[in-house]
Amino acid sequence: MKTAILIAMIVLADSAGDVFLTMGMKQVGEISTLNPRALLTICQKTICNKCFLSGIFFITIFFFSFLVVLSWADLSLVFPAKSLVYVVSTLGAKWILKETVSLQRWGGIFLVCLGVALISLP
Amino acid sequence: MSADIAGKNGVGREAILENETPPPGGNSLKKTIAVLIPAILAQAIGNVFLSMRMKEVGDSSLLALLPRAIESPSLWVGTALLIVSFILFAAALSWADLSFVMPAISSEVVVNVVFAKYFLSEDISLTRWAGILLISIGVLLVMRSARQKENQENQKISGSQNL
Repeated sequence: MKTAILIAMIVLADSAGDVFLTMGMKQVGEISTLNPRALLTICQKTICNKCFLSGIFFITIFFFSFLVVLSWADLSLVFPAKSLVYVVSTLGAKWILKETVSLQRWGGIFLVCLGVALISLP
Repeated sequence: MSADIAGKNGVGREAILENETPPPGGNSLKKTIAVLIPAILAQAIGNVFLSMRMKEVGDSSLLALLPRAIESPSLWVGTALLIVSFILFAAALSWADLSFVMPAISSEVVVNVVFAKYFLSEDISLTRWAGILLISIGVLLVMRSARQKENQENQKISGSQNL
C-alpha cells in the first residue's frame, strides 16, 4: 500500500514536472538563435520563469520519492510502474497544454509505455 | 539567428535575410530531431559513465557510497552529460509538443540497453529485446504522427497565403 501511494506520487510528480516545464518553455518562447549572448538572456529568462521553476520543483519531488521507494521496493516493480508517466503526461499535454494528440500518436505512446515496462522486468 | 545577423549588418541585409527565413513551422520537426538526437546520446553516454563508476564503488548503502563516488571524475562527466541532455530537452520543449518530445526521447532507453551490452557487457534478455522492439515501433508511430501534423500545418499556412 505504501509502495502504491509512492508510485502514484512518482508518476504524478514526474508528469506535473513535464507539463510545467513545457508551459514555462513555451512562455520563454521558441529558441531560434545560436548567438551566445542571446542564449544567455534566454537562460536568465528561463530560470526566472515561475512555471519552469515549478517544473523543476516537481521533478525534484519525483527524484527523491523515487529514491525513497527504491530503498524498500524492487526496481523491477517500480520502473515498469513508472512508465505510466508517458500516459499521464500525455493526458496533461492534451488537457492542460491543449496539444492535439492523434490516434496514431496515442498508439505510439502506448507502445513506448509497454516497451519501457518490458525492459525493466527482471 | 537571422535577426541577430541582420541587426549587425544594416537594413538592406535584413530585408534579404527575412525572405530567406523559412515559414513558421516549416522545418521545426527537423529542428526538434536535431536537438533530441544529441540529447539522447548525451543521456545514454552519461548513464554509461555513471554506471561504470557506481559498479566500481560496489554494492553498499547510499550514504556510505556517496563520498567515495563523488571523488571520481567519471561520475562528474556522467552528471555533466545528463545536465546537457536536460538542457537540450527543455530547449526542444520551447517549440515542440510535449506529447512528441517525451515519447521521442524514450528512444534513449533503446540506446541505453545497446550501450549497456557493448560497453558494460551486460546480458540482454529476450524480454528486453522485445521491449526495445515495442519502443522502436512506438517512437516511429509518434514520428509519423508529428510529420503528418506538420504537413497539415504547412498546408494551412500555404492555404492562407494563397487567399
